[in-house]
Amino acid sequence: SSALVLCMDVGFSMSNSAPGEEPPFELAKKVIQKFVQRQVFAENKDELALVLFGTDSTKNPLDRDGQYQNITVHRHLMIPDFELLEEIENQVHPESQQADWMDALVVCMDLLQTETKGKKFDRLNVALLTDLSTQANQDHLDVIIENLKQAGITLQFFLPFPAEDDEEGGGDSDRRGPGHPGTGKGLSREQKESLDLVKHVMLSLDEEDGLDQVYTFRDAIEQLCMFKRIERRPMAWPCQLTIGSCLSIRIVGYKAVTEERLKKMWVTVDAQSNQKEDVKRETVYCLDDDNETEVKKDDTIQGFRYGSDIVPFSKVDQDQMKYKHDGKCFAVLGFTKQNLVRRHQFMGSQVVKMFAPKDDEHAGVALSALIRALDELQMVAIVRYAYDRRSNPQVGAAFPCVKQDYECLMYVQLPFMEDLRQFTFPSLENNKKLSPSDTQLSAVDSLIDSMMLVQKDDDDADQKDIFKVHHIPNPAFQRHFQCLHHRAVNPGTPLPPMEPWLKAALERPDVISERCQAPLEEIKRKFPLIEVEKKKKLKTSAQIFGKDAEEPDAKKAKGDEEEDYNLADIAEGSVTSVGSVDPARDFRTLIKLKSLPFGEVCQQLTHRIEQLLSNKNTHYYMKSITCIQAFREQSVKLGNADLYNSYLQSLKRSIPNRRLEVFWDLLVQDAITLISKDEVEGSTVSKNEANQFLVVEEKKEEAAVPSAEDTGDVDDLLDMM
Amino acid sequence: MAEWNAYYQNEDEDEEQEEGEQSGGDYKVTGRDSLVFLVDASKEMFIKGEDGEPSNFDMTMQVVRSVYTSKIISSHRDLVALVFYGTEQSKNPRNSFKYVYVYHDLDEPGAKRVQEVDALRGEKGARLAAETMGSGETSLGDALWCCANLYSDIKLRLSHKRLMIFTCRDEPHRGDSAKDRQARTKASDLKETGVIIDLMHLMKPGGFDVAPFFRDIVSQPEDESELGLHLEPCDKLEDLQKRVRAKEQKKRAMARLNLCLGEGINVAVGIYATAVTARKPAAIRLYRETNEPVRSKTRTFHMQTGSLLLPSEIKKAQTYGKKQIVMERDEVDSIKKFQDPGLYLIGFKPMEKLKTHHHIRPAVFLYPEEGEVKGSACLFSALLMKCSERNVFALCRCVSRRNYPPRFVALVPQREEVDEGKVQFTPPGFNVIYLPYADDLRTLDPPQCPSASQIQVDKMKEIVSKLRFKYRSEAFENPVIQQHYRNLEALALDMMAPEDTEDLIMPKVDQINHRLGPLAEEFKDLVYPAGYNPESKSVAKRKTAIVGGVAEKKPKAEVPEDELRAHVQNGTLGKLTVPVLKEACKQFGVRTTGTKKQELIDALTTRLTDTV
Repeated sequence: SSALVLCMDVGFSMSNSAPGEEPPFELAKKVIQKFVQRQVFAENKDELALVLFGTDSTKNPLDRDGQYQNITVHRHLMIPDFELLEEIENQVHPESQQADWMDALVVCMDLLQTETKGKKFDRLNVALLTDLSTQANQDHLDVIIENLKQAGITLQFFLPFPAEDDEEGGGDSDRRGPGHPGTGKGLSREQKESLDLVKHVMLSLDEEDGLDQVYTFRDAIEQLCMFKRIERRPMAWPCQLTIGSCLSIRIVGYKAVTEERLKKMWVTVDAQSNQKEDVKRETVYCLDDDNETEVKKDDTIQGFRYGSDIVPFSKVDQDQMKYKHDGKCFAVLGFTKQNLVRRHQFMGSQVVKMFAPKDDEHAGVALSALIRALDELQMVAIVRYAYDRRSNPQVGAAFPCVKQDYECLMYVQLPFMEDLRQFTFPSLENNKKLSPSDTQLSAVDSLIDSMMLVQKDDDDADQKDIFKVHHIPNPAFQRHFQCLHHRAVNPGTPLPPMEPWLKAALERPDVISERCQAPLEEIKRKFPLIEVEKKKKLKTSAQIFGKDAEEPDAKKAKGDEEEDYNLADIAEGSVTSVGSVDPARDFRTLIKLKSLPFGEVCQQLTHRIEQLLSNKNTHYYMKSITCIQAFREQSVKLGNADLYNSYLQSLKRSIPNRRLEVFWDLLVQDAITLISKDEVEGSTVSKNEANQFLVVEEKKEEAAVPSAEDTGDVDDLLDMM
Repeated sequence: MAEWNAYYQNEDEDEEQEEGEQSGGDYKVTGRDSLVFLVDASKEMFIKGEDGEPSNFDMTMQVVRSVYTSKIISSHRDLVALVFYGTEQSKNPRNSFKYVYVYHDLDEPGAKRVQEVDALRGEKGARLAAETMGSGETSLGDALWCCANLYSDIKLRLSHKRLMIFTCRDEPHRGDSAKDRQARTKASDLKETGVIIDLMHLMKPGGFDVAPFFRDIVSQPEDESELGLHLEPCDKLEDLQKRVRAKEQKKRAMARLNLCLGEGINVAVGIYATAVTARKPAAIRLYRETNEPVRSKTRTFHMQTGSLLLPSEIKKAQTYGKKQIVMERDEVDSIKKFQDPGLYLIGFKPMEKLKTHHHIRPAVFLYPEEGEVKGSACLFSALLMKCSERNVFALCRCVSRRNYPPRFVALVPQREEVDEGKVQFTPPGFNVIYLPYADDLRTLDPPQCPSASQIQVDKMKEIVSKLRFKYRSEAFENPVIQQHYRNLEALALDMMAPEDTEDLIMPKVDQINHRLGPLAEEFKDLVYPAGYNPESKSVAKRKTAIVGGVAEKKPKAEVPEDELRAHVQNGTLGKLTVPVLKEACKQFGVRTTGTKKQELIDALTTRLTDTV
């Protein structure tokens, strides 16, 4: 871990800027904010302090006899948090004094030395953000440099202008472009002198690359816009590679590639209090009977399915009988040609690299012999791999990897017989109707030419890959942190749009987009692609949710009857209002009981329907539909159509606003319409009107939703047809 | 309240299902798959091959058994039936058909059925078959009719219906044209109701001629191109198994997406999972009294009021830098949304740019969906041919489902390959390889080691050559899963002990030692100095560690209270080790359910900030 002091100039000159340009103060503040944000979300153990100079007041341990004035230690060394971010946002303002940046540096060094006592840090660093407008006191320059060296403190400077002038910078000057104001010539005498001083200090700390640690504000902001990638310390897995029982080689494995996940999960909190302690989750078990009788967890045992049988199998028995093995292992089963291990058969989610232990030269030589032998023979080792006694053993391949500066074996899991699915697909090439013509093939050829992401240089030596996926940070994480940060700093405002740089990083590179224009047009001409018009299949909601699909028809019919005549329920008198579990059944029961007026029961039901519809989820839609069906059926039975009809009409009106088109579509397909005169005498709706009620809406709905693009569910649906 | 109906089930799934996790999982489909084995039981089927080769009947029973057991493991909800024709006895639902014996009607296979099929195997099996069923006259028409009834008696919704005929007789009715005609009619009736009829024809002396009779019985291939009828009959168990396997599982797309090459150029493709890690199925809870399965329901309720919480009454939160950040549930979803589902072509790269170690997930398979966008297959095929010819892969951005963040994938071309029997063993299409992002690569610090000399390498080459074998991916069974099912089988069938399983991924140490002979010693002499023992070294090390550990066991890891408070205040609790944190939790009477570091830190922080 490292300790870092951010040392920012807030003196009055930092507020100066040419018209239309952001003052250096604002830029410097942004650099600090971005940096601290990254640190907060990276959640490592780095500690941070903030020192301001040019402040009106003075608050630092070296403040004595009028020395080290106008320098404030704003925050001592500790792990950064949102409090610090808020302080930077609200408490760091431009002030009206000026202070010597060299003095400020001394304060930072002192802070680092006193506050890191007794703690271990790999790196001590001071980052100075200033416009260098004050004259620096050079009296103790040598002492300061000597102290920096001794304490192992590194320095970074962030300035409003580049450190190297155009003359010195040479070819680099184009790169900087007009984006950087105040380059070279606009500098004051003090700034020029200070800049020379900065260079002197940096070069005496690091003769060669010292100036690399001098940045402009703008460069820094650009580089800091990305959140840190997730880093984990590699865990060593020491083991022995064995070939038979006579030959073994000591190895150490490290996970080298694996799909990284966010370290933190979302926790559920109460919407009112935002306290997770207010929310409790509990799992209960119940029998699959009408009453859903609850049973205690202790009254349950464990079982497994064996085809159609369910076999009770206690945990104890299971542990006793389960497959057991000797634990940690990396044993060679044999060797095979590399081309027999197909890339697409790699299983698992990781690649483990195997090295020799650091202190064991002999193991290194032995392993090297194996790696090189495999490499020269183009072969791999097929091995049995077990992480430890508790984990399941795997079969996998160990590939040789010979690099310039190291050698290793790369282990990848391979499939078991049970994992494989042998699918056959119709041949593409042997089908005359499908096979492309020569002109079609050449169109594809030129498309590939125009879209090659790897360009050969003229010398043919260097290949340049212009789209390296493994250099792109995971966009999901970037977006996640962007939104979290936004919400933390601006609570109560909607989430921000995606960062433009992130969007751009996921797109086809501009060069390619331009180059492939013409070939793509050619493809479009040569290959007619016609979307197949699907006959609009009539789906009832039940079909869509597959509710009945798994149930024999007979049982279903029985269930329906039971719903009507479940006397037990009624006798118990357990239903006093329309609940949320099975509102339709409660509704029917209540009407049968006549304990409440019809109007009130209907109101309770519609209340439940509204509640259900507030969740845009197919399961809730399904439930709502059964409610509406019950509503209709009972209304017809009782000959009272008004409540139902007016509810359905108002529901229809609210569809567009509530974006319930999907739900409405289901209602249409189930043909649940208004109650007409034909059914209930008192109804004011004619049969025609009732039919029309749905028809019109269907057309509108079709117009409103162009080619349904939400593939997710639709795919499911198509599969079922 | 007791009946609160799993409102939160969906929510649970959302939470547990980390992005990307689903890949490879089966797409949810309603309806069951069904498979009827219609097996010839005529005398010819029981004739043993030369040199004690198993009879056709025996071979068929072995295949049926392996399908039964594999269904139990991989898709226990599929329905399977076993029907014999050409029998002397008859047994069918209404006993309306002669010479048809329904051994198993359409149902989920279970332990008992496996046993019953086992009983028909081998010498004993042939005797049992002769006793119970015998061989009689043949009417394939009746047999097919009977099968049609099996299908129609099922009250479940069937999504895929397949019927496989196993026979070695190409003229079952010996030229009785009336019977032939009836069989053809019944076959076409079946086909009309969506049943696919396959012929698994077996070897007979003089060869099996599909043309005169069976050509009209079996289903026409889905399209002309499919290698429909295998003209060669099977004479090997392995062959038959392969043929049955290939047909037995219905291939089903995990998703249908557009592969977008550019504005308005969308190729419809289906994504298929060809390798999915098979796991031991999850246990189900049973009621102790009756052994009936119980359902679990998870409820979320308010601690203080005890009332159940509606989805709208909860939010999601994460804590960073000592600050709790709260979002609505739909906001959490929307963060993950980048684009609509689909594959979007970025460009092409030479195959050598696809690194072996860039592996994060099992690959999936891509095949065109001509039924969605006409012309897809042609463009897909052109891309496949050209990519393969030029040895390049296509780089695409892939959003596999709604609200899934994008991943980049390499589409690697794969040409079709068939074996001598014209059976496809590699299908044509693109393999989709998932590529890692920068976050997925870890920085390692490889040790500096000397390289081996050529003499040492050459010696190892000798060893490698001695232990060469031809790797086949289907050669290794998963011992954990196999053992689990043997155990269940034993319990289900009240067997004394489970059948033995052979652990195929155990190195055959004796054989290896024998093959290597003196080579192992020779190699060791070349690389290891005298007295070096790779095994003893690490053992010795561990021993001393244990001894030392006991001797100077550290005093209990305890941190003074004020120091802890300082850590809490500075947010530096993370610097303490897990044992220390645990001890601290005990010290303050903080009860934690978790053992993860973050959980311990959270618990302590809450406790200590409350009491400040």
